[in-house]
Amino acid sequence: MNNTQEKTKSKKQTIIIITLALVLVGCLVTAAVLLLNKPKEEPLNEPAKGVVGVIKDNWDTQVSSEPTDSPSQAKKGTQIPGYSSAEMNAGDMSIKLRIGNPKENHVGFYASLKLADGTVLYKSPLLSPGQGLEEVPLTQTLTKGTYDAIVEYKCVLLEDGKTPLNSAESGLKIYVN
Amino acid sequence: MKFKKIITISLAAAMAMTATVSAAAAELTEQNPTGNTEVTAHINGSAGNVSYIITIPDVVDFGELVQPSNNDNFYKYVDYEVKATKLEGLPDLHHIGVYVKDQNAVVKGDTDFYITNKNDPSIKFKYDVFHRPIDDTTQYTISINSDTMTGTAGYKLYDFFYEGDTLDGTLRLNQNQLYGRNITDIAGEYSGYMVFFSTVEENP
Repeated sequence: MNNTQEKTKSKKQTIIIITLALVLVGCLVTAAVLLLNKPKEEPLNEPAKGVVGVIKDNWDTQVSSEPTDSPSQAKKGTQIPGYSSAEMNAGDMSIKLRIGNPKENHVGFYASLKLADGTVLYKSPLLSPGQGLEEVPLTQTLTKGTYDAIVEYKCVLLEDGKTPLNSAESGLKIYVN
Repeated sequence: MKFKKIITISLAAAMAMTATVSAAAAELTEQNPTGNTEVTAHINGSAGNVSYIITIPDVVDFGELVQPSNNDNFYKYVDYEVKATKLEGLPDLHHIGVYVKDQNAVVKGDTDFYITNKNDPSIKFKYDVFHRPIDDTTQYTISINSDTMTGTAGYKLYDFFYEGDTLDGTLRLNQNQLYGRNITDIAGEYSGYMVFFSTVEENP
């Protein structure tokens, strides 16, 4: 091998190494750009949390909200949500059930989910108007079958969170698949 | 040759790396923010949702009671309202049945309605519940609690078939219960709490 050939080979190697380095740098830059441009997760207003589960501050009954009475016609009262049924799978430790305090109210709620035999499946902390859950954590799971249950709403004065008012219970069926 | 191999492997690795980053980035979209693939199934829309809203009175408030001078009936009436504020998502041919009981009522036990002295719970006075307006209630009108309370839900109060249906009811306390009592003993604030039970029922 003569000098010219060696020089040519060396040149080729240098070009290849530079090319390789450029490709690698390009890849790294691309990766960095993609990762850095990932949309940042907006910090949410931390909702109040119960013993377990998430209580939202902007809970809505999801039934139409057109007022049926003018304020002058409507008598003072407390709105109580009612249910037909709820569903879950055997073994689940939560159930999709919209338990909460309608935003139109001016009282606090302590909500409980109970079976007809008195078994308590969930107890909420004080729910202010507009607070509620969409998925309710359970103290125990249920086996396959149909259960009679109630959502109990104990109403209290918001001012102190303990002076009792009239209360309500909504009966429903829980279907466990 | 050796260099060609190195270059080939390096380029392949670099391309694979690029592809991996792209795929990871593509998964984190608004449509799939967690980056997980989720298999969903049809879920009954009404299950777990609020199907109806009933508006109940906040408190039982008879205001100031008066001790009568004799033992004759001396009624005090107050009105209350229960309303089907919203009725949505009910099965066909069903309505909302509403029941009521005293907070301490027990089937086969004491099923009367009471207001109780806040300082001395042993002092309490009965009141009656009617499912008709004050104007339609006389001393001869039969209260819902004159019947026997057979279920834990309480006494049947009303059936709501349509949104906006309203029950104008009456509570009645006979102040002759105060007759002959030492006013110093019974003076004070009283409170009583009703429990309203609602459930979806088949139409008759």
